[in-house]
Amino acid sequence: MSEERTAIAQARPRGRMARVEETGVREFLAFCVGNERYALPLSCVREITRLPPVAEVPRAPAEVLGIISVRGQVTTLIDMRKKLALDAPALGSRARVLLVDQGEEILGLVCDRVVQVYRLTEEEVELASALGSESSSYVMGIGRPGLRKGTGGAAAKARATVSAHDILILLDPIALLKRHLHE
Amino acid sequence: MATGKDGDKARDEFLAEAQELIETLSRDLLILDEGQRHGQRTPEAVNDLFRGVHTLKGLSGMFGFERLGRLSHVLEDLLEDLRLGRVELTQPVLDVLFEGVESFQRLLSEATSQGEPANTDVEGFSARVKSLIRAKAATHNVLEDYELDPSMLGVLTEYEEHRLRSNLLEGLSVYRLRVRLSLDVIDSALEELKDRVKSIAEIITYLPSMEGGAGDAIEIEMLLATRRGEGELRAALHRPDASLSLVLKKSRVAEPRPAVPSLAPPPRASQRASSVATAVVKPAAAAEPQADLSLRSLTTVVRVDIRKLDYLMNVVGELGTVRAALSRLVDKLRSTVDLTLSSEAHRVWRSFSRHLGEVQAGVLDIRMVPLAQLFDKVAVVVRQVAREQKKEVRLLITGSETEVDKLIAEELADPMMHIVRNAIDHGVEASDVRAGLGKPSPATLAVNAYQKGNHVVIELSDDGRGIDSNLVREAAVRKGVLTEQAAGDLSRDELLNVTFLPGFSTTRQVTDLSGRGIGMDVVKTNITRLGGAVDLESEVGVGTKVTITLPITLAIISALLFEVRGRLFAIPVAVVQEALRLPHGAVRTVEGREVLTLRGTTLPLCRLGDLFRLSGTEELESDLFVIVIMVGNRRLGVCVDRLAGQQDIVIKGLGRSLARVQGISGATDLGDQRLVLVLDAASIVEEMLAGRVNPVGIGGVQ
Repeated sequence: MSEERTAIAQARPRGRMARVEETGVREFLAFCVGNERYALPLSCVREITRLPPVAEVPRAPAEVLGIISVRGQVTTLIDMRKKLALDAPALGSRARVLLVDQGEEILGLVCDRVVQVYRLTEEEVELASALGSESSSYVMGIGRPGLRKGTGGAAAKARATVSAHDILILLDPIALLKRHLHE
Repeated sequence: MATGKDGDKARDEFLAEAQELIETLSRDLLILDEGQRHGQRTPEAVNDLFRGVHTLKGLSGMFGFERLGRLSHVLEDLLEDLRLGRVELTQPVLDVLFEGVESFQRLLSEATSQGEPANTDVEGFSARVKSLIRAKAATHNVLEDYELDPSMLGVLTEYEEHRLRSNLLEGLSVYRLRVRLSLDVIDSALEELKDRVKSIAEIITYLPSMEGGAGDAIEIEMLLATRRGEGELRAALHRPDASLSLVLKKSRVAEPRPAVPSLAPPPRASQRASSVATAVVKPAAAAEPQADLSLRSLTTVVRVDIRKLDYLMNVVGELGTVRAALSRLVDKLRSTVDLTLSSEAHRVWRSFSRHLGEVQAGVLDIRMVPLAQLFDKVAVVVRQVAREQKKEVRLLITGSETEVDKLIAEELADPMMHIVRNAIDHGVEASDVRAGLGKPSPATLAVNAYQKGNHVVIELSDDGRGIDSNLVREAAVRKGVLTEQAAGDLSRDELLNVTFLPGFSTTRQVTDLSGRGIGMDVVKTNITRLGGAVDLESEVGVGTKVTITLPITLAIISALLFEVRGRLFAIPVAVVQEALRLPHGAVRTVEGREVLTLRGTTLPLCRLGDLFRLSGTEELESDLFVIVIMVGNRRLGVCVDRLAGQQDIVIKGLGRSLARVQGISGATDLGDQRLVLVLDAASIVEEMLAGRVNPVGIGGVQ
């Protein structure tokens, strides 16, 4: 658990500063839910932990997996598979909890696996408006790591081909968790 | 968090201190008001008010709260005049003072919420205060009617002169007391003498006299006012050597008595008189003792943000789980390793346990505040509402020293205000109506608090018109809160509790204060959230009594652990009456609902597994247990699979995302990382009994 916490801390060298140095670059944490790849802005993820024993809460909304204690704080877990209406096998040993701070409350988002942190430029992000009105309100856009222009050269091209399948669905944490916060 | 932390901290300190001062002000103001209504003068209260406002002025200036400062300045002027008798204490003056304290509160709230928008009209208020000050009372100089030593009068401060004058006007006897005190014990002897005198009289002034000041002794002359006779005064003094003489009224032709030139002024009057003996009495002894007291009490008090205590409480709770883990380790040691080591470990563990218990009790104790803080606010509201409604209400408060957790006291404020407003608004009849009914003209609103085991009970009763259960029935049906059929089946007590349902109110006329039908259900919700219960008793024509039962503390509680369908739950022991094996064949069905006959009484039964729709299967009926819980005066049997012991727990609230989940008040960490849900007994009883109406009247008082 703790080594992962450190990993995140290092991957995020004071997020805001990184963005200042390289305008237009934003960091996203990618994770898997079922067969889909999603990503959240790294700045909203407090930490990543393994899934501890969960206490189920009777009468809670269906997408609430239960509650856990994170250093003494009672934290509500949201089952991302139910939240995103995806079918998936039971949570495995790679399942992780992303602790997302929404100001009012820290919620734990349960995903099947954490992938990595991506630094995406503006060119690598396709806004949700491009997806048409079909998309859910909490989808901010589509991330295509490796689509970086301007750097040119074979290396970039190679990266583009390698990562072509790495399509990330970028989630807007505020819209995603709105219902939980204002209910 | 934010920047400028030090500044914020100082600011927070100021706000907290100002809040405290304002609360004290409103308390003093109530004493003043009470005194004024009974024709008594309460100079102490005026002095306290004056000092409070003065301190507030200083603080506001220091922290740059300019409007607060200006307001205190004007009020200080008014109070100064009041103190010195330049302005008479009349109803308009009192009203202005109350208004001033309210404005303080408003300005402070504005400051707290960081916003600076203000509709508080400090300027207009100031102007009104000034006009009051200008309309100073012209007083007849009563002093000239008495045989008072002119040289003594000459050294009285303006305030002392005012006190002398008003005591004489009120018909009190004024005595001159002379007593010789030895110089080496003068401080303590003087204090002792003052204390004795104060028990029976008011000290107007005291001065050292050089007369008879032979070497090691000094004569003190005191001017005091009392209603008691000379004999009583002498007895209280315990000083046979003292000479006591009554200050008499002058006969028309009385000769002016020769002056006693030896009187020395006290240091505070030194600017007005010149004399030789100023140095004899130490300034400390001559300072106003009340001022001393208030300064001392301020310095021993530490203000702490309740969140810091919450944090400490959490840490203590975590330590409790460490203790449980250690206990398991100690047990393991006992069976494996050598005896000396294990007994030593046991001893260390015991000592750790004991100290932890002390820390826990200490932290809990810090959080406790007397209900007086809350009751003072109630008194202000009572006065205000009674005046607005032009009703005469006498407030009787008892048990204000009862202590509750600070958080509970805070959360209780709104429900209390609602109940009090309701009582005056709807309960208390207008004066002429009361006279017609042969009831005493001032209605009585009694607030009583006392501790009962782990609970604090607060009773609010009025002697107003009471609640007519028939009207409640009609209104409930008319508003669709109940069906006609259901309403018809309810007992009187049950009908009264219908007033707590959302959207219910019996008065047709909506007033400014209450009667919108949102009052009582808010009361109920707030109190239930605190783990408490509220009950209503009423008799038409006699009055209404609201009883609030609350846990003393929210932080650490003793809980009973139990299992239902393989899941562990906890319930506060405070609500558990007993826990027993489900008696064989004791479960019956009445109108489709299960009840339990227990020692001749009928108890509604709740199967928690079904209520919570837990997956899995229940144990065989013969292996079940029942936990009998009681909230307020209602009982319920909760059916569980297994009892799992008792433990002290720290209840932690569920996050906002689960705020709507009914029946669970929080969770607790038992030390093995897994959280255990804590049942909200009050809401389960509510859900099982109050929400449903049934012909058997199961929800009634057992």
